[in-house]
Amino acid sequence: MSGKRKKRRAQIFSIYMQRKLAFLFVMVLLAFAMLATRIWLINRDKGAAYKKQVLSQRHYDSRTLPYKRGMITDCKGTILADSELVYNVIVDSYHILQNTSDAETLLAKGVQYEYLEPSLNAAESLGANRAELAAYITQNPDSRYYIAAKKIPYQTKTAYETERAQHRLLVEELIDQINEENAKKKGEKDEQKIAAWRAQLEAARKVVAEDEKVKGITFEASYIRSYPNKTLACDVIGFADGSNNGAFGLEEYYNDTLNGTPGREYGFLDDMSNLERTTIEATDGQNLVLTIDANIQSIIEKYLKKFNDEHQNAVRQGYGANNIGCIVMEVNTGEILGMASYPNYDLNNPYDLSVLVGMPELDESRGDQPSGNYLTQDFVNSLKGEDEETTTRRSKYLYALWKNFCIQDYYEPGSTAKPFTTAAGLESGALTGNETYNCEGRLDVGASEPVKCHNVYGDGILTLGEAIERSCNVALMYEAMAMGAETFCEYQSTFNFGLKTGIDLAGEAYTANAVYRADKMVLSDLATNSFGQNFDVTMIQMITGFCSLINGGNYYEPHVVSKITSASGATVENIRPRMLKKTISESTSEKIREYTLQVVTGPNGTGHTARPAGYLIGGKTGTAETLPRKNGQYVVSFMGYAPAYNPQIAIYVVVDRPNAIPQDDAKYATGIVRNVLTEVLPYLNIPMTEQLSEKETEELQALLDSNTIALGASYLAQEVARGGGSGTDSANGGVGTAALFDDANGDGVPDGANLDTNGDGTPDAVDLDGDGAADSRPEEEPWKSYAVDPATGYYIDPSDNHLIDPVTGYKYDAVASQQTLNQIQESSQEAGTGTGE
Amino acid sequence: MRNETAVFQDYALIMSVLFLVGIGLVLLYSTSSYEAALKYGDSAYYLKRQLVFSVLGTGLMFFISIFPVALFRRLELFIYGFSTLLLFLIIPFGRAANGAKRWLYVGPVSIQPAEISKIAIIIITSSLICRIGIKDLGKIKSFAIVIGPAVLQAVLILVITRNLSSAAIVGMIAFGIYFIAVRDYKIVSVIILAVIAAGGGLIYASVSGILGGFRSDRILAWLHPENYAEGTAFQTLQALYAIGSGGFFGKGLGQSVQKLGFIPEAQNDMIFSIVCEELGLFGAIGVMLLFLILIWRFVVVANRAEDLFSGLIVSGVITHVAVQVILNIAVVTNTMPNTGVTLPFISYGGSSIILMLAEIGMVLSVARRGRYEEAVRRK
Repeated sequence: MSGKRKKRRAQIFSIYMQRKLAFLFVMVLLAFAMLATRIWLINRDKGAAYKKQVLSQRHYDSRTLPYKRGMITDCKGTILADSELVYNVIVDSYHILQNTSDAETLLAKGVQYEYLEPSLNAAESLGANRAELAAYITQNPDSRYYIAAKKIPYQTKTAYETERAQHRLLVEELIDQINEENAKKKGEKDEQKIAAWRAQLEAARKVVAEDEKVKGITFEASYIRSYPNKTLACDVIGFADGSNNGAFGLEEYYNDTLNGTPGREYGFLDDMSNLERTTIEATDGQNLVLTIDANIQSIIEKYLKKFNDEHQNAVRQGYGANNIGCIVMEVNTGEILGMASYPNYDLNNPYDLSVLVGMPELDESRGDQPSGNYLTQDFVNSLKGEDEETTTRRSKYLYALWKNFCIQDYYEPGSTAKPFTTAAGLESGALTGNETYNCEGRLDVGASEPVKCHNVYGDGILTLGEAIERSCNVALMYEAMAMGAETFCEYQSTFNFGLKTGIDLAGEAYTANAVYRADKMVLSDLATNSFGQNFDVTMIQMITGFCSLINGGNYYEPHVVSKITSASGATVENIRPRMLKKTISESTSEKIREYTLQVVTGPNGTGHTARPAGYLIGGKTGTAETLPRKNGQYVVSFMGYAPAYNPQIAIYVVVDRPNAIPQDDAKYATGIVRNVLTEVLPYLNIPMTEQLSEKETEELQALLDSNTIALGASYLAQEVARGGGSGTDSANGGVGTAALFDDANGDGVPDGANLDTNGDGTPDAVDLDGDGAADSRPEEEPWKSYAVDPATGYYIDPSDNHLIDPVTGYKYDAVASQQTLNQIQESSQEAGTGTGE
Repeated sequence: MRNETAVFQDYALIMSVLFLVGIGLVLLYSTSSYEAALKYGDSAYYLKRQLVFSVLGTGLMFFISIFPVALFRRLELFIYGFSTLLLFLIIPFGRAANGAKRWLYVGPVSIQPAEISKIAIIIITSSLICRIGIKDLGKIKSFAIVIGPAVLQAVLILVITRNLSSAAIVGMIAFGIYFIAVRDYKIVSVIILAVIAAGGGLIYASVSGILGGFRSDRILAWLHPENYAEGTAFQTLQALYAIGSGGFFGKGLGQSVQKLGFIPEAQNDMIFSIVCEELGLFGAIGVMLLFLILIWRFVVVANRAEDLFSGLIVSGVITHVAVQVILNIAVVTNTMPNTGVTLPFISYGGSSIILMLAEIGMVLSVARRGRYEEAVRRK
């Protein structure tokens, strides 16, 4: 049997060994007990701290998911502002610095970290600064989160990912090809092909292996605001920064609507202290659909820029005017079709200082009023510093650039206020419409000196209509005095002067202190107010009030947004026209339409130059002296409506201190109005009513040939070919269009003999002395006997050498006249000259 | 007769081994799934591989248990030679991972020669003791002969693979077997005191700054892990966070936070910290009890071994398992400085689990032929 029994040399596992084994077992037991105690002690002493540590390491708190700020589109769907999906490149230093090969392999390759170089290459291709990133990784080897490149385009990110996917795909395809070929029978196999593919596969695999060495690079979604049309409607839109804070315009006014709610990805501990992770998706912001039409907007901006280009650096080194503003509004709804000012800026790059060159310098000692100097390149360069003073000054000038002149600036309106004064007189009953006033060129209203009419020789006997037509200050002063300060101020407030219009744009000026209160008003104030001096308005106040004068007295709240839609496109809110009040009656409105039509069509009208070819429009010019008086600085404007017998749109153009001498010439504004309406009216498919003269046909043909108009061009071309609108205008009821056209045919001589603007079938000439014949006006146009200035075509008053407008008799002020003459003498340059036509 | 005795199986031992292997797979899956999914796109990557190793190892265990352990005594030189050869083969053919050359690759299979060393040392040490005889074992010369092959292997392991812990385990296994076999305590006491003195001296040298460099750093990081949170002690500290946040009953299986990338390669040496985090102190004691039951069964088998060699083989296996479990848990709980010791049956590693099961195969073989078989059979 077994050798165990023999015990000859057999050794057994003795008792003492068993005891020792038992001892060993007890030792193990003790060791285990000690270790268990140790685990218990760790939990008891450090448990709470370690639990916190674990949770804090987990970054369970939260991660914000970005939302997309809403789009802004015009009424036709053209995108004006949008948020683009971009990515931040996130680098994980710790991950990049991990090695899987051993030190010797790395040493053989001569690198310390096998993933560093490929990862840096990849990050660089994604737009990261290589040197900066490399430095960061070396200095922060444990960092898990570093933004190496900000806001790289979506395309760059997808291109990067697609490229890598293609590398992998190529490997798979080659393997499939080789397998397929291998599966063929022996005779059919093309061993050469397989060998070639194998070689390709080898290369492809190397590429993939190289790709896989890129570690620790991830992407984080983000959005940036972009404005595809750059400067278009910049004042209306405003801009939003990287944190989705809107500044100016719609971006500021509708900031909360445009912004969504950021999503969150966060962890929390459930009742079992387990870590749960939850994602709440971001809610994207809502979109704005505007009443603004990008085409009308671009037409406006084109002509503002054209004006600027023509007048830039003409008299002074600077822009064509301190400010040029234009609003086009729907008369019957208050919807803004276009609103622009110049100079403008690129919304994608609002901090571009180069745009500031040529803007008026602000006199810091006089409350930042324009000093009369203009910013030079050197001055703008000096704004680039980072010290506090420079920063403050820079933001002041940028603010001047960014602000919307049309709603944020206020100024004295000048004669464009006259229709309001007349309307107030008629509506209050102070005027009947049959009044006549004798203008002797000046009127003493108790001030230190008499208030002059712009025609210092006197306009003679004028009806209310003629007073508007000729823009007679004296007649308007009489009108205001007829109603008195109380009524005048009441109507100022009815027309919303001194109040905000409530337009849905940020920063509308508050002008309550810029208008008079009846109890503070003396006669001279009332007198000057009547023709638009000594009180301030904003452009939006003027045009909104003017629309109500034209449309029968309905004062609509002006607005820019017509609809708010959700991110998915569903309508959230429709913004309908909102009538705020009734300003005047329809009969008063009719009279104002009649009077303002005379401005453009009447023999002595100041606004002839505003009429676009093929259409009849009404309106009012304005030439306002700025403070301090007699400084030769003017704000010229034109406010009109079109077409004359079925008003659809109103337009208001203000040229603030044109870069010209003399400045007090409304043609700077009327020229822009004419240009804009020439394109906008056909674009809106408003039928032409007037015959085109030969000259107009040429002009329109030239415009068509210039190929600068896109929409409405076909209609315009059609009309040009046809020679304009129908010979007689049904609404006009027998107005002699031929007569009107005599006035507008560009010969510079108005034809007033048989003018009938109001459609009553009788000539407008006034019969005051009852002899049955229209009064001749012997005192009228005395300047016609004066010498003509050969350079400008203006008459020269021999008594004081002032220039006189040949049509209106307007006598330019001394400063402007002298400057003009000096300039003409100095050079033959025709700066700021030209005839009234 | 032999044929009859061959029928006996120690089912309690087999069950506790299979239970440990099963629990090990579950814990490994829980711990490794996150990193596996991240690294290989397959959360069961480590589980699948470990399952294959476990099945292979279990097969090997039963296969070895068929043969009498005396067979290994005959093969001692062959096994020892093979183990030594493999160690030398690392020098030209070894492949490095995690900065040290410890593995040999045969096709897709990787072998860690240090694991083979352990089984070789169990066999050769037991055999040498039997050859010298119990009577002469107390002599210094005998001690030197018995411990010599182990020291040689340990030095090779240390020099070639720079794996201090494996070298130490090899030495401890040999010393453990000698401790069980020798009757008097003279040499044993001297050695234990020497080791304690050396350890104390090392700690003192590190703290006082006499000893510089890598090892000193480890000791200082062990004493003050907070000061080395981003460097040497990162892993240790993260393991402590895991243990400390587990509490009495843990966060629940699969609920560990620390395995999500904070404890690098948690499925290897640091798996016990995840066990503590998920199953708490309760689970940790449970796992230790499983090992205790296993060792208890080993002790029973050793006590009833048919001869000295069989008993010493089992003693060697006991030492091996006990030392590795204690060292691993001690490292994880920062009771001793960080050295790479795996937790038997639970840590991921093919060589480790296959050879561990092979050792248990020898224990089963001893059990089959143990002296208590007659008593059982008579019933």
